[in-house]
Amino acid sequence: MLIPLLVVVAVLAFWVISTYNFFVSSKARIKAAVQEIGNQLKRQADLIPNLESSAKGYLKHEKGVYKDLTDARRAISSAIKSGSVQKMADAGAKLASILPNIQVVVESNPELKASEVVTKLMDELRDTSDKVMFARRLVIDLTADFNVKRVSFPSSLVANLFKFGEQAGIITPQEGEHVEVGKEELETPKVKL
Amino acid sequence: MINIYEAQVANKRKSALIVILFIVFITVAIYIISQAFSVYLGYEPGGLGVAGIALLMSGLLSFGSYYYSDKIVLKISQAKPADRSRDFNFYTASENLSIAADIPKPALYVIDDSAPNAFATGRDPEHAVICATTGLLQKLDKTELEGVIAHEMTHIKNYDIRLASIVAVLVGTVALLGDFFLRVSVRGRRSKNSGQLAALIMVLGVIFALLSPVIAQLIQLAISRRREFTADAGSVAITRQPSGLISALKKISSDHEPLEAANKATAHLYIASPFKDKAKGAVGWFSNLFNTHPPVEERIKVLGKMV
Repeated sequence: MLIPLLVVVAVLAFWVISTYNFFVSSKARIKAAVQEIGNQLKRQADLIPNLESSAKGYLKHEKGVYKDLTDARRAISSAIKSGSVQKMADAGAKLASILPNIQVVVESNPELKASEVVTKLMDELRDTSDKVMFARRLVIDLTADFNVKRVSFPSSLVANLFKFGEQAGIITPQEGEHVEVGKEELETPKVKL
Repeated sequence: MINIYEAQVANKRKSALIVILFIVFITVAIYIISQAFSVYLGYEPGGLGVAGIALLMSGLLSFGSYYYSDKIVLKISQAKPADRSRDFNFYTASENLSIAADIPKPALYVIDDSAPNAFATGRDPEHAVICATTGLLQKLDKTELEGVIAHEMTHIKNYDIRLASIVAVLVGTVALLGDFFLRVSVRGRRSKNSGQLAALIMVLGVIFALLSPVIAQLIQLAISRRREFTADAGSVAITRQPSGLISALKKISSDHEPLEAANKATAHLYIASPFKDKAKGAVGWFSNLFNTHPPVEERIKVLGKMV
C-alpha cells in the first residue's frame, strides 16, 4: 500500500517541479527575448549612420528620404538610452514604416535603382527591420506560451500556487484603429498601372 | 481551416503515435526472434543475449554516422560555406529566422548544383547545418527562401535528425537480428525440446526474421513523412506566411533537373525528394509507402488549409 502511494507522490512532485520550471524558465526566456529586441535595435542604430554616409552621394537629391532615415536613427538611439522596451519597439516600427517610401523613391529613379550602393542599402534596411520584427515575434510567441499555460488546467494550479502573474509581452492596445475594419478596407483594392 | 497551433499539436500527436507504434513493433519483433533463438538453441543465451549483441553492433555503427553525420554529408555533397555578401538573402534570412525560432544560427553551406533543394543536418541545435543548392538561392525570392529555411529549422529544433538516427539504430538491430537467426536456423540443427509450442515459436521466428526488417523500414519511412508535415507546420509558425513555402514547394517540384549531389543515403534529408519519378493510382500508393517524403501536392493542400 505504501509503495504505490509513494510512486503517486513522486510523480506528482515531479510534475509540480517541471511545471514550476517551465514557468520560471520561460520568464527568463521572455526577458532574454526582450533584450534581443534591444540588441537588434542597437545594431540598427549602429548600422544606419554607416549606410547613410555610404549612400549619401546617391541620396543627396532625395532630401525627404535622407531626413526620414536620420529621424529613424534618432528615434532608435533615444529609445535605447531610455531603456524602455515599448519605445524601442516603437522606434523599430517607425523604421519599418518608412521603408516603403524609400522603396518608392528608389523605384521611380532608374539611376538610383541601378546603383549597387542603393540596392545594398535597401537590402540592409529590410534585413535590419526583419531582424527586429522576428525578435518581437519571439517575445510574442513566448509570452503566449506562458500565458496559455498559466490559465489552462492543470498547470494553472501551479501558476496560482506560486503566484505567477500574466506576462505583458509587447504592449499593444486591445482597442483602437488597428482592431477595427475601416470603410476603405472593406472595399476591394483597385490597382492602377 | 485550422490554425498553426492546432496543426502543430495534431502533428506532434500523430508523430508520437507512429513512434510508439514503431517501438512496440520493434520490441515484439526482437522478443519473438530472441524467443525463437532460445528455442532453437535449447537454452536462454546468457549475458547480453543475441538481441543485446545486435543492438550493440547496430548502435555502434549508427553512433559513428550520427556523430559525424554533418561532416560526412557535407563532404559527400561537396558543400562550401556560405558567404554573407554573396549569399545575402540566404545568410540574412537564416540569421533572422534563427532569432524567431530561438535556436543558435546554424552553420550555412551552399552546394553548387542548379537543381533547387535544401537540407538540414547535425546532431542538435548547437551543431546544426543548413545546406542549400545554388539553384535554390537563384530561383526563389526572399519570402520563399524564408519558408524553406524555416522548414529546415523546425527539423533542427524538433531534433528530427536525432530521432531519425535512433530509428535507424532500431531498424538496424531488427535487420541484424533477423539475419543472425536466418543464418543459424538454416543450418538445420534441431533443438531437443521440440514441443508444439516450440515449433510455433520457430515458425513465428522465421516469419518475423523475414518480414520485420521490411515492416520496420516502412514505419521508419512513415515517421520520416510525418516529420515533413510537422516541419511544414513549424515553418508556417515561424514565418506566418504559408504562401512562401507553398510557392517554394511548387517551384522545387516543377523543376525536373535531378540533383547530382544527392544519393539514396542523403535523400531523406532534403526539403523535397531529390528523385523526381512519379506514379499515380494504386502503383503510386504502393510506391509512396517507400518514399521518404509525402507528395508535394498533399503538402501544399495541407499548407493551404492553414491560416
